[in-house]
Amino acid sequence: MNGGGGRIALPPIRRERLPNGLEVVVAERGGVPLAAVRLVLRGGASLDPAGRAGLAHLVALAARRGTRRRTGPEIDLAVESLGAELGAGVDEDATYFGLSAPAEVLPRCLEVLADVATAPTFPPREVQRLRRREIASLAHDLDEPALVADRAMLQAAYGAHPYGHPPEGRVRDLRATRRADVGAFHARWYRPPAALLVVVGKVNAEEVLALARRRLGAWRASGEAPPPPGPPAPPRTAVLVVDKPDVTQTQVRIASAGFARSSPDYFPGMVASALLGGGFTSRLMEAIRVNRGLSYGVRSRFVTSGAGGLFYVSTFTKVETTAEIVQVALDETARFCAEGPGEEELERTRSYLCGLFPLSLETHDQLAEKLADLALYGLSDEEVSAFRERVRAVTPEAAREVGRRYFPLADRLVVAVGPAKAVARALERYGPVSVVPAGKLA
Amino acid sequence: MFAPPMPTPRAQPRVPVLDLDRVRAHTLPNGLRLRILADGSAPTLSYYTFFQVGSRNERLGTTGISHLFEHMMFNGAARYGPKEFDRVLEARGGHSNAYTSNDVTAYYEDLASDALETVVDLESDRMRSLRLTSDSLEQEREVVKEERRLRTENSIFGLMEEQLEALVFLAHPYRWPVIGWMEDIERISREDCEAFFRTYYAPNNAAIYAVGDLDPDRTLALVESHYADIPSGPRPAPVPLGEPPQRGERRAKVRYPAQAPALLAGWRGPAARSPDSAALDVLQVCLAVGESSRLRRRLVQEDEVAVSVSISWGWRIDPGVFLAFAELAPGVRTGRAEATLWEEIDRVATRGVSAAEVRRAQALLRSSVLHELATHHGVAHALGQAESLLGDWREAGRALDHYAAVGPKDVRRVAAAYLDPSRRCVVVLEPEVRR
Repeated sequence: MNGGGGRIALPPIRRERLPNGLEVVVAERGGVPLAAVRLVLRGGASLDPAGRAGLAHLVALAARRGTRRRTGPEIDLAVESLGAELGAGVDEDATYFGLSAPAEVLPRCLEVLADVATAPTFPPREVQRLRRREIASLAHDLDEPALVADRAMLQAAYGAHPYGHPPEGRVRDLRATRRADVGAFHARWYRPPAALLVVVGKVNAEEVLALARRRLGAWRASGEAPPPPGPPAPPRTAVLVVDKPDVTQTQVRIASAGFARSSPDYFPGMVASALLGGGFTSRLMEAIRVNRGLSYGVRSRFVTSGAGGLFYVSTFTKVETTAEIVQVALDETARFCAEGPGEEELERTRSYLCGLFPLSLETHDQLAEKLADLALYGLSDEEVSAFRERVRAVTPEAAREVGRRYFPLADRLVVAVGPAKAVARALERYGPVSVVPAGKLA
Repeated sequence: MFAPPMPTPRAQPRVPVLDLDRVRAHTLPNGLRLRILADGSAPTLSYYTFFQVGSRNERLGTTGISHLFEHMMFNGAARYGPKEFDRVLEARGGHSNAYTSNDVTAYYEDLASDALETVVDLESDRMRSLRLTSDSLEQEREVVKEERRLRTENSIFGLMEEQLEALVFLAHPYRWPVIGWMEDIERISREDCEAFFRTYYAPNNAAIYAVGDLDPDRTLALVESHYADIPSGPRPAPVPLGEPPQRGERRAKVRYPAQAPALLAGWRGPAARSPDSAALDVLQVCLAVGESSRLRRRLVQEDEVAVSVSISWGWRIDPGVFLAFAELAPGVRTGRAEATLWEEIDRVATRGVSAAEVRRAQALLRSSVLHELATHHGVAHALGQAESLLGDWREAGRALDHYAAVGPKDVRRVAAAYLDPSRRCVVVLEPEVRR
């Protein structure tokens, strides 16, 4: 068998911790004359205070709306005139500033990025405007059933844990958020010892390191390290129906407990999830799409965050077959956990994962993201270079075992976004049903 | 092929982003075109097959057949039976998918370079001897209906786009959606699929793009040995091009229980191969790419009538659509947002844009071309896209030349020529209040 050789070759990587605590990672490689930059701050949406869901997200967006040296529009123009893009956002574990720029203008772009992240002034008009726009965006999000399902699942699965609210926030919390909250969050959590700068591209590593020292070496901020959240409790068996009376297709999520990114279960879990619901030949794809034509797509995955994670199956089907698709997914999951994978099936899946992996590191942006994740979760480069050995080491027993431990068997949360009248009753057999109008999720 | 002049501190390196001289082009006696580019920067390769068929080749009654047929291509052929295509490919560490557009149907495999022969074997098998059974047709029909429910029936943008295309085109087949009308999806028969296969999936209607860590001579020999005996097919029927001139604004309303209003406008543009296409790309960037673009600043930042605004100028074989989409803030009157949008477009058409705006657009377009050409997959796709839409794969390496040649006057001219108020089509989403 084949599909993917041995160790994954990483380009030469330089790492340096600046005296102020900032960690800098530079990877010099060939290819197109572009550079990808990530400035990562530990914490992210899990640092949102009670009643302020969406604050970390708002801070990241507002940071680029003005500094002592530039107004928001001047920042936009400075970056875009050079052919570069600057983005900002958060997930549950971190805040990210991302820059994609032609390699030859990296010095100028990095200066703007440093300015934005370390010296924002949060102009009141810009902060209020962004807050209004984010509230309006949440309304539009309610019209996207898949997004509603994802958010409802996280909320129901994690409950009051810091991972339970959407990073984009909630309408009532954003309404209550003041500019002072934004400034205070930045002052408290944007600190060099909690930050990481990754640069990947057709660059000279020495020059980039010198540039990082010059632009970010003087960054000072006092305060504490972000406290890591405790492990989330496993989701309780329940059915949540998010009522959207007018849709003709139900979005379905089935979730169970998972593990943290640094868990030793990571590789067996990834292989088991690919067997059940990855690619076009997975068991769920075959049962749901190929054999029954119930859906256009189905997939499963582990969400692996810093403090814990989830496993979930995600699919959709016409309203009439909502309960059927849940049953088929649960049956296939139970069958996998009872029998485990066959040798040929496991070999194919391992080859698939090994063959695909280099393609996920092809662009500068992809590699920058991977290096940022390694640093954020305290993992070594071996996660990447020994990827294939680790995947190949997963035995049928290990795949079955990890499935039994985490896949939705006895305990699982079922989320359905669709017309409650038509779907709620049929889902009663999967647990106590609660119905929420979609509008309540903003 | 050379970088355009830009406001950068140092001169742009004058190196080609895509070395067209290294592309090996060959046509087999049965008409199959083959383009090979060796690049050993990563031990992977991308193998694209473009068929010159899309929804523009369809007829009313069987709309959506190009797309439904794309699904059928994964359901087994003479040597590799049902479910085997993906299994064999995945076992070799490969990944495959496909898409159908108004103009083309494209299939790709991305894989480790040592699996080339497997891919050639798989792809030639289905081009030669696809098995079209009633069972697999019925199953794919249901899958495609779910896809339509996902992308159109339960998607605000999908609902609006379907209305817009039907306003912009009265006669041209671009009038119907690529996925087809629901009733047509239900009606397409196995016989329809067989006739479709014989005509549109014959080697003389196809081209292969192999890019990556490969040996050109060996690749050519492999393709010849696997495809040469597949017979040519009949010439596809010509596409009806007659579209009557538009003499006034056309409007449609979509009422749906949405949370907030939205606005979609479209104008018929030129064919992709028109020299104006590049200028419209520059116009698109000036208007709505990046935070400092005109529409983002005015509609989102200054007036706050919109949450987001985007422009899509899609290059098509026949004259396509220049499209503007705005998600409006809840409670905003659509009339107010419309007036602001028309005012900004009119400003470009009458007063033009500055030289600095054009340079900004050129810099952003250069980066976007570099991103596209950063992977074997991207290069293979760019070659195929250029050949199928513009008639010449070499155009994939010329985009930057075309952008560099665009000046402020061109931007103003194309805005005035194509975005005329009397030739616009407008779809408004009105949130419906449920009782």
